[in-house]
Amino acid sequence: MKHVNCLLAVLFVVLSASGSAMAHKVNLFAYAEKGTVFTESYFPDGRAVEKGTVRVYDSKDLLLLEGKTDTEGLFNFDIPKIDALTIVIDAGMGHKNRFVLKKAEVEAGQ
Amino acid sequence: MRTKIIVASIVAAAFVFLAVHPVPAHFGAVIPSDDIVTQDDDKTLNVQVKFIHPMEMHYMEMARPKQFGVFHGGKKTDLLGTLAAAKGKSPDQDQKFTFWSTDYQIRRPGDYTFYVEPTPYWEPAEDLFIVHYTKVCVNAFGMEEGWDQHVGLETEIIPFTRPYGLWTGNLFTGQVLLKGKPVPFAEVEIEYLNETPGNINIVLPPADPYVTQVVKADVNGVFSYAMPKAGWWGFSALNEAEWTLSHDGQKKGVEIGAVYWVRTRDMK
Repeated sequence: MKHVNCLLAVLFVVLSASGSAMAHKVNLFAYAEKGTVFTESYFPDGRAVEKGTVRVYDSKDLLLLEGKTDTEGLFNFDIPKIDALTIVIDAGMGHKNRFVLKKAEVEAGQ
Repeated sequence: MRTKIIVASIVAAAFVFLAVHPVPAHFGAVIPSDDIVTQDDDKTLNVQVKFIHPMEMHYMEMARPKQFGVFHGGKKTDLLGTLAAAKGKSPDQDQKFTFWSTDYQIRRPGDYTFYVEPTPYWEPAEDLFIVHYTKVCVNAFGMEEGWDQHVGLETEIIPFTRPYGLWTGNLFTGQVLLKGKPVPFAEVEIEYLNETPGNINIVLPPADPYVTQVVKADVNGVFSYAMPKAGWWGFSALNEAEWTLSHDGQKKGVEIGAVYWVRTRDMK
């Protein structure tokens, strides 16, 4: 019982510390231009998602690359493959979202 | 004596006519094909610019606007050159009238406020010119930033309610500004756009006061209205301009309106 209480207390502290971000959905937007894919990750009020993990998958769900967002929520990379790219932002604590860059958009952005 | 009686009769007749047929409320309108763009949506918006009686679905002839653009990320982009003329009418109008249309490609996240300053419209029935500065906001890709910023029009409504993602029944609150300052006790007219796409249940007002709803702002120019049906709603705050325009060599007053459009959807 003591352990359970302790666990709850820890959980409470962790949840409190994460503050307002809990109520906010995380978003990622991406576009391709001149051979580069530009991504930006943000909360609905426009705040950047800092140090979020970005993972890029091809249409067969194969992980192509991953990286971290900077202080402005940005993460850019060279087009890894002409394919539909699923780009996932993982901001921790279950804050995840994805953006699909269509194959035609990747092609147009070469 | 006889002339007096005739004049009095005409005035009385005009009064009765006006009482029975109040001049319908004119509204500038900027209606986009969508108010929320997500990654699954078509990223090309069609935006239509009209001068109408929204409840009665009447069109009025609209000249090419003086100014039309979009405000995004704190910057204005001129889109006037992209407007193409189109024609429209209500089912009970026997001729078509000009409105304006454009396609706009959404490229980045954030709020896009489309704004128009029309060419002054001469309204003989009211013996004045009408200029409705009209705005609408479209949200893109979940970044809800920019909707409450001032575009900087001569008169404009600043939404205090986020102007998208609204349910039927929600309260819309806004502030009326004239030259950047709140207008105390401004009168705001509200109409439902019967021509809302997908509106299968055309509203037939049981009496004239139902056509245009009227609320007054408080001392800070702030007003509210709860919208009872799904579709597009227009809010129009009217003021008289300090300037005049010439019509047939005579100086005429100018009604300047701050108009804002929002869309509601049913909870289901």
